[in-house]
Amino acid sequence: MNKIPQLLENQLLELIDGNLSASEKEKIEQEIEHSPEVKKRYNQLVEIDRALKTIQLEQPSKTFTQIVMAKLNSQPLQTGFSIKNGLLLLFGVLIAVGAATVLLATGVFDTAGTIDLNNIVAPNLTKEPLPSVPFNGKLVVNGIIILNIVLAFLILDRTILKPWFNRRINDMQF
Amino acid sequence: MTDPDFELIDKIIAGEQPLFGELVNRYKSYAFTIALKVLDNRAEAEEAAQDAFVKAYNHLKNFKKDARFSTWLYRIVFNTAISYKRKRKGTFQSIENTVVAYGQEAEGLLERNDKKKFIRQAMNNLNEADKLAINLFYLQEFSLEEVAEITGMQANTVKVRVHRARQRLADELAVILKNEALTL
Repeated sequence: MNKIPQLLENQLLELIDGNLSASEKEKIEQEIEHSPEVKKRYNQLVEIDRALKTIQLEQPSKTFTQIVMAKLNSQPLQTGFSIKNGLLLLFGVLIAVGAATVLLATGVFDTAGTIDLNNIVAPNLTKEPLPSVPFNGKLVVNGIIILNIVLAFLILDRTILKPWFNRRINDMQF
Repeated sequence: MTDPDFELIDKIIAGEQPLFGELVNRYKSYAFTIALKVLDNRAEAEEAAQDAFVKAYNHLKNFKKDARFSTWLYRIVFNTAISYKRKRKGTFQSIENTVVAYGQEAEGLLERNDKKKFIRQAMNNLNEADKLAINLFYLQEFSLEEVAEITGMQANTVKVRVHRARQRLADELAVILKNEALTL
């Protein structure tokens, strides 16, 4: 059988779907009547259409709804830590780091001293006098700043970037 | 747009979670059918459809009510089923490279009056989007525009896919019937 033109095939399908105007319908029906090849193709398409109309809905298992509701109930509770809260916390940490850096730069923590442990521990607990521990304020503040920077990265990752990317992935699936 | 589901959705958002079960009952058959048409595996389709309902519940606040709830839900189901299929296969089968498998098995199994069985088999060789488009179209539930919204395609593209799928099925049917006639 010679292949009939695509345009004509489309018109046959439109006829089957009932989308043609009266004049278009009459024209294509004449074509079907006069051309055995078009008629054959039309019959094939009608046959497919009839068969497809028998497609039926599939039924899931009887426990489908219960399983969905159980999944909803077993979902982990949301942390309530929104991206906005994460940003505020990050901002606070960065302010603290900035303030500590400024104070460090102005030399507030430059004075090195010692901590006399005898003043802290009760005298009756030790037989011999305890040594004095050298204390470097600058070093301690530097350590705190580094810890704060690590904390800031963690906050950025857990409360801002991760939820943001998860939201984007979910949005893409919609 | 007024949808009978909107009132129920408002109540669910307000905290009446058990009412979501009503929505699940209402749409589970269509959701499952869509997932099944994509995945061709009942257990997997059931899991994908359930996951889609959980996703829909979690994003119910984002539902803008400018379309039917069912259309919005079925799009989630479709995307979830596609994700399942991608995870399973790692690759995506393109319609352009898809050839309807017609061989010894089909020839042997096909009886003169067994066209329905053949069509089901041939449908499985269409790609996900074509298969879903033609299924939704013939389930009489959706207009071309709604099928387009669910699958994320243009309405014209859906129309082309539905037409093309029917032509392919008709071509295959013609070949098989011709071969059958030769063997008589």
